[in-house]
Formats: sequence, C-alpha cells, structure tokens
Amino acid sequence: MSAEMNKTPKIGIISCSGEEIPEGTISRNAVRRVLEYLRPHETVTLCLPLFLAGNEGERNFARTHPVVTIDGCGKQCARWGTERHGGPVARALVVSDILGPGAAGCSRSARGRTPADESAEAVVADRIAREVDALRAKGATPRDKGDGV
Amino acid sequence: MQEGQDGKRDSKRVLVIPCSGIGKVHGLMSREAAYLVADELVPDKADLVCLALLVKEDEATIGKVKAHPCIAIDGCGKGCAMKNVELAGGEVIRAFQVGRFLSGHRGARPGSGSELTEEGWAVTREIAEAVADEVDGLCAREEVA
Repeated sequence: MSAEMNKTPKIGIISCSGEEIPEGTISRNAVRRVLEYLRPHETVTLCLPLFLAGNEGERNFARTHPVVTIDGCGKQCARWGTERHGGPVARALVVSDILGPGAAGCSRSARGRTPADESAEAVVADRIAREVDALRAKGATPRDKGDGV
Repeated sequence: MQEGQDGKRDSKRVLVIPCSGIGKVHGLMSREAAYLVADELVPDKADLVCLALLVKEDEATIGKVKAHPCIAIDGCGKGCAMKNVELAGGEVIRAFQVGRFLSGHRGARPGSGSELTEEGWAVTREIAEAVADEVDGLCAREEVA
C-alpha cells in the first residue's frame, strides 16, 4: 500500500436495514463480508437508524469518513439518510441494480439460506470492495465527494 | 388508542419492528426473532416494517405504524426501533430488548453479527415466542373489546 493511501481515512459503509425484503439482508451480509474479510483495515460501519437517531458523535460519522451507501431497493434509505445529515455520499450502490433478477430465490432470514444467498452476497460484497479500493486509490477524503453513483 | 391516517386503527395485525444493528449479534437476533414471529409463529397476525423506511419518513410506512399497534425488538439499550416508532407517531405496545434475554443466559455464546450458533438460535426463538405471545394477547384483547 502506498504512503498516499495510508493517509486516506477509512471508508465508511452504511447499509440499508431493509428488514422486509431479501435485498436488505443481502446488503447487510455483504457489508459484513467487506468489514470482516475483504477490507477489514480499510472500512468501518455504523447502523443506519443509529446514525439517523444518534447523537452528534454518531452523526459526525459521514463528516469524518468518505461514505459508500448500500441500499436494498430503489427507495435508497441509506443514501437519503446519509446525505441528509452528512452531505453527498462518495458512492451509492443499490443491491437490486447490481443483481437484477439475481436476488430471486434469496431469503430474508438466515433460516432459509441457500447457495443463491451466498452467491448474491459475494457479488455485492465484491462490488463494494472495488468501490472502496477506487476511493482509496484516489485518496478520497470526507469532503471529497464522489459522483454518488 | 391512536388512529391511523384514515381515522381508524386496524388492530387485527401487529407490526413488529426489529433493530437494524449490523455490528453485533444482537441486531441479527432481533431480526431473526422478528422473522420467526412474522413467518412462522403468528403469520396471520403480524407484519414487519423496515426501520429505515420509518426513519426516512416514508409516508406509507408512517401511515402503517400509526394505524397498527407496534412491538419493537431492539438489540441494545439505545432503543432505535422503539424511539423511531414513537417519533413517527406510532404506539409501541411493548418494547423487547435482546440484551435482557441474553442476560438470562449467562455464558451463552450466541454467535456474531453474521451468524448465530445453536445457543443463539435458542435465545432468538425464546424472544420470538415472547413477542408472539404478546401479539396473541393483544389480538385477543382487541377482539373482546
């Protein structure tokens, strides 16, 4: 890793909570994959409702980290909430856009997990990791907002 | 009792709102308990609502929480689910906390934010059964009234 990249703050990832739909579960599990296995030293997270309902320290999250939001559906609650309190996000990803019909057959509960869930989470996690790499490669800062795509 | 947007409250279905916690096992347990309630234990009496939609002030979701009795299942004492239902003008009939159930199982290793162990699933089912009992009781009281 270059000295320049070491100066880059960790990338914040805020996931949809999406309890009603499988895409919400995919988004949370994909984020956990990134945090635990794919980019554990480059990323941090905060749960969305805590970010929105929390105190100033929690609200400060988006002002101290470039943020990637990952939403389950087109309502983009994570992006909406983050932008409302922290300004434009560096990247905004939507599971249903990434997977298309690939989320069909996925389950919202871990009790119903199948290889389809595993595969969908892996695809989304890889995409998040690529965005994290791209942001760090360009030395993103919290003020250095991306195109929001 | 609070009324919904249409002036009537539909107490036939109870809304269960779990925590969205992503960092610890508590959030996963609260969601899986909610799924057990809505998918398996009392599917004809309970529905789920995305907490994020509520905090996004989604009109349809706010209408729902105002029109139905709500049960919150929070992971921790910050009580995001309960607080956000109340902020949206909904009535929390009962607020459960995963941490309180876990404290009754000292030494238990419930798993992580990604996966539950057998012990984790057992405590999760205990939470779900407590929520389902509350749903059943509430629906029975409303029918009598």
